[in-house]
Amino acid sequence: MLTGQITSAILGVALTGAILFLVRRDHLHGPYAIWWFGVAAATFVLGVFPGLVVWLGHATGIFYAPILPIIIGLSLVLIRLLKLDIDRSKQERRIRRLTQKLAILEQELVRLGGSTGPEPADDEA
Amino acid sequence: MPVPSRQPLVAADCLAVIPARDEAATVGAVVAGVREALGCAVLVVDDASSDDSAAVARAAGAQTLRLSFGLGAWGATQAGIRYAQRNAYRGVITLDADGQHEPASLPALFDAQRHTQANVVIGTCFGRLSRAKRIAWHYLRTLTGLDLTDFTSGLRLYDANAIDVLAGPEASLLDYQDVGVLMLLAKNGMRMAETEVPMLPRRTGHSRVFASWPVVARYMVHTTVLCVAQIDAGRRRHKALQEEAAAC
Repeated sequence: MLTGQITSAILGVALTGAILFLVRRDHLHGPYAIWWFGVAAATFVLGVFPGLVVWLGHATGIFYAPILPIIIGLSLVLIRLLKLDIDRSKQERRIRRLTQKLAILEQELVRLGGSTGPEPADDEA
Repeated sequence: MPVPSRQPLVAADCLAVIPARDEAATVGAVVAGVREALGCAVLVVDDASSDDSAAVARAAGAQTLRLSFGLGAWGATQAGIRYAQRNAYRGVITLDADGQHEPASLPALFDAQRHTQANVVIGTCFGRLSRAKRIAWHYLRTLTGLDLTDFTSGLRLYDANAIDVLAGPEASLLDYQDVGVLMLLAKNGMRMAETEVPMLPRRTGHSRVFASWPVVARYMVHTTVLCVAQIDAGRRRHKALQEEAAAC
């Protein structure tokens, strides 16, 4: 029979370990690594010291303290999702412009080379 | 700051841009018709067709751009506009590849540009607007404050100032060649005029916007969000984008 503290500690340590592993293996890069490092640290601290949640609940005036990490967690997920969509839009813009530029440069190559050459292959998988 | 065209556009200094996706059946005749009517260079932008639209267009005397994957009608048109800017054409005339714009009516756009000195001339067929389109355009007119009859007409004449606006990164995330494009032009002080042109029924294919009710609904929601978001769009954002994507 596990106590609640041991369970949360195991979860925290496991999540922290997984994130650190991914960052070390270069699967998460740059700003993402920093964000996930923060998440790993918070999970670890709250997992090992669940008493912090109760203290934080008192400090912020939230009557049912265990809901606090959930609220904070959800807010962070929302922020993360928003940032993800912003990044995706930026990438989409760049991809579209690069595709257009690629077509223009390809046409110039053909014009300079004087031959139509093979049809450019589609890149879409 | 409005930037009226000083000199009227001459067809010979312009590039005709025709976005085409799987239009091999009609694009050849369209290219030949434009070359005969205007005598200008013609560029067909092949929007990742699965048929041989590009080869047909080349055989008819057009230059072609081949997009590696489909960017939609506006993405293809913008590729042509960027090509025109890069090769210092003074104007761009865009038309659909499905043969619904009659080549003989193209000089009318240049006449209208000469009379109005507008930066953009839109070829509209007032008579052929369906009831659904009339309702949609009335709604968009109210929402955008743009005084235009037809928002989706693909038959347009852009001068060099309009080309500079539309070739930029701010126009690259637009999905349709309509309200977003027109609002961007209006925001940059471009003057727009409409002229009536006759239109033929489409020989093949169908409107990408008015394909079916779910598509129309999606289009209207998309456009409404765009309009609401753009209500107070400032030039500050425009500048930031220019700097960010200038390298692409």
